[in-house]
Amino acid sequence: MIKWSDEQEMVRQAVRDFIDTEIRPHREELEFGDLPPYDLLRKMLRTFGMDAMARDNFAKRIERERVAEAGTGEDDTEKSSGGGGARDANSVAFSMIPIIELCRVCPGMVTAMGVSMGLTASAIMSKGTVEQKERWALDLLTMDKIGAWAITEPDSGSDAFGSMKATAKRDGDEYVLNGSKTFITNGPHADTIVFICKLDEGNPPAERTVLQFVLDSGMEGLEQPKAFRKMGIHSSPTGMLFLDDVRVGRDRLLGGSEEAFKGTGGRKASKATFSMERTGVAAMALGIVDRCLELSVRYAKEREQFGQPIGGFQLIQLKLAKMEVARMNLQNLVFRHIEMAAAGEAIDFAEASAAKLYSAQTATEVALEAVQLFGGNGYMAEYEVEQLARDAKVLQIYAGTDEIQISQIARSMLGE
Amino acid sequence: MNVVVCVKQIPDPADPGALDPNTKTLKRDVKLILDESDSYGVEMALQLVDTAGGGEVTLVSMAPNSEVGGLRTALAMGAAKAVLVSDEALAGSDALGTSKVLAKAIERAGEADLIITATESSDGYTGTVPEQIAELMGLPSITFAKSIAVEGGTVKVQRQTEAGYDDVEAPTPAVVSVTAGVVEPRYPSFKGIMAAKSKPVDEVTVADLGIDASQVGWAGAGQEILEIAAAEEREAGTIVEDDGEGFQKIVDYLAELKVI
Ligand SMILES: Cc1cc2nc3c(=O)[nH]c(=O)nc-3n(C[C@H](O)[C@H](O)[C@H](O)COP(=O)(O)OP(=O)(O)OC[C@H]3O[C@@H](n4cnc5c(N)ncnc54)[C@H](O)[C@@H]3O)c2cc1C
Repeated sequence: MIKWSDEQEMVRQAVRDFIDTEIRPHREELEFGDLPPYDLLRKMLRTFGMDAMARDNFAKRIERERVAEAGTGEDDTEKSSGGGGARDANSVAFSMIPIIELCRVCPGMVTAMGVSMGLTASAIMSKGTVEQKERWALDLLTMDKIGAWAITEPDSGSDAFGSMKATAKRDGDEYVLNGSKTFITNGPHADTIVFICKLDEGNPPAERTVLQFVLDSGMEGLEQPKAFRKMGIHSSPTGMLFLDDVRVGRDRLLGGSEEAFKGTGGRKASKATFSMERTGVAAMALGIVDRCLELSVRYAKEREQFGQPIGGFQLIQLKLAKMEVARMNLQNLVFRHIEMAAAGEAIDFAEASAAKLYSAQTATEVALEAVQLFGGNGYMAEYEVEQLARDAKVLQIYAGTDEIQISQIARSMLGE
Repeated sequence: MNVVVCVKQIPDPADPGALDPNTKTLKRDVKLILDESDSYGVEMALQLVDTAGGGEVTLVSMAPNSEVGGLRTALAMGAAKAVLVSDEALAGSDALGTSKVLAKAIERAGEADLIITATESSDGYTGTVPEQIAELMGLPSITFAKSIAVEGGTVKVQRQTEAGYDDVEAPTPAVVSVTAGVVEPRYPSFKGIMAAKSKPVDEVTVADLGIDASQVGWAGAGQEILEIAAAEEREAGTIVEDDGEGFQKIVDYLAELKVI
């Protein structure tokens, strides 16, 4: 893939028009007014028929799985948690384009959407039973319901599994869940929560099996406090979750049995989710960089100092040239992800980490350089680059910090 | 119910390119897009077919270089097929020449209950093509529609006027021109965009339509563009300094203009 096809360009134009008329005018409220992003996202999905497409794809997949189940009696879990089969390049591109385009205006909306339709739904689609998929995943894929995926805890971030305190204890046929989760995207609004915790059988924490449960908002003992104030992505509500003796049946245990998660299985399942989360970041970074560059080029031509447009100064030209290099690299990364998905090739963990590291750093650097290029105006909220710079920073923190990506890339090379 | 919509493909108004100093017309060798004025007609047609519970929308367009960019947009919105007239002989066609071609192309598009056009195009603005088509086809013509309903063999139109609207009726088939902005044109869905690629576009020449080339293009044009000139710059407005009584000055000014 060397450029967007005609249809992909048409999709891009249509999505951009929609965002300019339907979402951009709400930027103030999303940024400073605590307007949740969900209704706008739903409108976007419905407008472009993405919800209907999700429903069709879901029906086809469930049908296939039922056939497979009937045939072999067992689902091939390795396969279903990996890259899956080859996909139509257009359908991959059509899922990337709204991410890129939304990030030109509001990267927070992509975070909220990605965690719900991407992370949470994928966790259920890759590990859940057919019944669980039907019960929870479809509504997430169409955004009729909002999802949250909860692994991080106050004392457990980068070392997500090592210091995890959240527990599940068996009690007859049921489990009792306890723990606190933090920095949970969509936490305050989520209808459906994938809660990741350790099975406490009285054994040492390091040996405990990691399990995933699906919770519904309103369950007894589950508290979803209001969102934190934060540096950027204001349009993505982030909060804590508290579980105090939440009772669940086996029907809420993803996969319906502890077996799939025994040993390192639980960690692997979450890692597959990390991989897909990381590839989305390239598309997000591309949107941010694309918009920063567009605004910067315009400003460099218009703003005059010392009797000439600032674009005439070589130091400004250097900034623009570097931004363009970044944009090209990110676009190539996105194209590669589309090609790989279309070829049915799963992106390995180290490559996903490398792409995520580069994308996150690049988006932050470019956005900060855009602020610099805009001078005082760049520091003012009225000029979009200020928001994009605050928003870009989070890409270096969530979905694995830069430092964690670096160590994962290095470890894969050193063969650890 | 079958509806034919005449759509023009024009240079992007955001990046319109240049005028040709020899022909004094807009250069059309750039990528063309669907004229926004026509997107309202396409939307109305799709809604009418939806309401009728059957039938299809067919597009008719005349454009140079086999251009389909704008047609694909309307096909992606939901139109079923298109007739495209593209022929070098058409360069320089005036409004009447264009109408002759479109009238024949509409006939080629098949039985239609209704023919919808925009009031005027955004690049040419002659605003005469819809009525000329109606005359050439011997059909009733209704202009400035803000809403359209078809019942039995009758089309009922709310025709926009300065004061409000008139209720107008005509037997079908009829040619109805639609005012810009009266409906919200839909965004093409992703599925629609994919499907648009394989929808049929019947590309024809002047000869295919049985038209003598001398009737159209520069050869047939009864109209000549003598001169083109830049529009006058807008004059600077009046600035009212607000010393606390600014509102009164504005009220007085508006009263002087007799608008309040
Ligand atoms: C806006 C936002 C949304 C989020 N959404 C979610 C969500 O939906 N679900 C969820 O579960 N979590 C979510 N998170 C949590 C996120 O994944 C964590 O913040 C992240 O993994 C880092 O963990 P931490 O904050 O505990 O930082 P820490 O792990 O405490 O890291 C502190 C610093 O130490 C560095 N560090 C840590 N370990 C090492 C090491 N081994 N080598 C070198 N340096 C190291 C880190 O890189 C960092 O610089 C979100 C976070 C944010 C900010």
